[in-house]
Amino acid sequence: MKFLTTNFLKCSVKACDTSNDNFPLQYDGSKCQLVQDESIEFNPEFLLNIIERVDWNAVLSVASDLGNTALPPSKPVFPATADQLSEEDMTILRDLHTLLIQTSISEGEMKCRNCGHVYYIKNSIPNLLLPPHLA
Amino acid sequence: MLATPYIKCDYDKVYEPAEDSFLLLDSLEKEQQFLNERFHSHLSVVCELGPGSGIITTFMLQHGIPSKNKSIYFALDINPWALEATHATAKLNACQDKFLDTVQSDLTSSLRNKEIDVLVFNPPYVPADNVPMVPSFKDDIDEWVDLALLGGADGMVVTNKVLKNLDIILSPNGVAYILFCARNKPEEVVKGMKEKHGWKAELVEHRKAGWEVLSVYKFYR
Repeated sequence: MKFLTTNFLKCSVKACDTSNDNFPLQYDGSKCQLVQDESIEFNPEFLLNIIERVDWNAVLSVASDLGNTALPPSKPVFPATADQLSEEDMTILRDLHTLLIQTSISEGEMKCRNCGHVYYIKNSIPNLLLPPHLA
Repeated sequence: MLATPYIKCDYDKVYEPAEDSFLLLDSLEKEQQFLNERFHSHLSVVCELGPGSGIITTFMLQHGIPSKNKSIYFALDINPWALEATHATAKLNACQDKFLDTVQSDLTSSLRNKEIDVLVFNPPYVPADNVPMVPSFKDDIDEWVDLALLGGADGMVVTNKVLKNLDIILSPNGVAYILFCARNKPEEVVKGMKEKHGWKAELVEHRKAGWEVLSVYKFYR
């Protein structure tokens, strides 16, 4: 599961929807195995669109769970179109490509910060199904 | 006409692509321009519920629906075999260079609310006494495929869960494509969605398949 996907996953428990703590999930850095997958090529325009859309606080939270505390505290701002990007912008975008798209969690676990329910990632596929008594 | 993905799956474990899958492919092809115009200026989040073999998600990956280099794709299935099959089908069709993740999930319960721009759903629409229980083990192979077929009363129990929550599933600009069979009474369902809940709803494609009539409707604001 790619890092960017953590920006879209919340706890499946319906009652947690009324809490602000059901997203992002809290990833257990000591149990998450990270792999780099280079099959998606760097495309600055794609990255600009992704960054416009992401919840930056959630990016920071998951990155910090996984041991990366080097990100800027607020979402980086870029020119509107790819042809106006400076060298420095490109460097930042490449780093974000590496983090958001190339970094995958192949095995791991995460929990809801509201209800504490633990979910697992196996073979890069997260399992967000609930046991029958919670579904 | 857009090419159909190559598929090579174990159909004891996942739903085999059939007329319903192909009707959805034709519907998405027909809607390509509408979707591109609606979404080309921003990132779009695409979600297929119940991808089975992965044929529909792979078709969208292959042809850049809704927009090339501006879409990310999530395929959510309750059946763990379908998630593996979806990755395998994407790979077989050389789509590893596109953004796809699969999630084992009961419908959209695991995704943040109001984030999906394009939702595609070929539901379990066959009328049956009950919606089957979720199997306890991944190796209960034949039980997983039943979940892809049987939709309880009027074949609408699962589809209704999605329609009822469409407001919190879709982004404000979002569009859902949902397949129905005639026994689901789609005209009545659509009338309710329009009149009671204020959705726009249109028939995209319909086709006679054997003794069954299938239709794809789109819902949006």
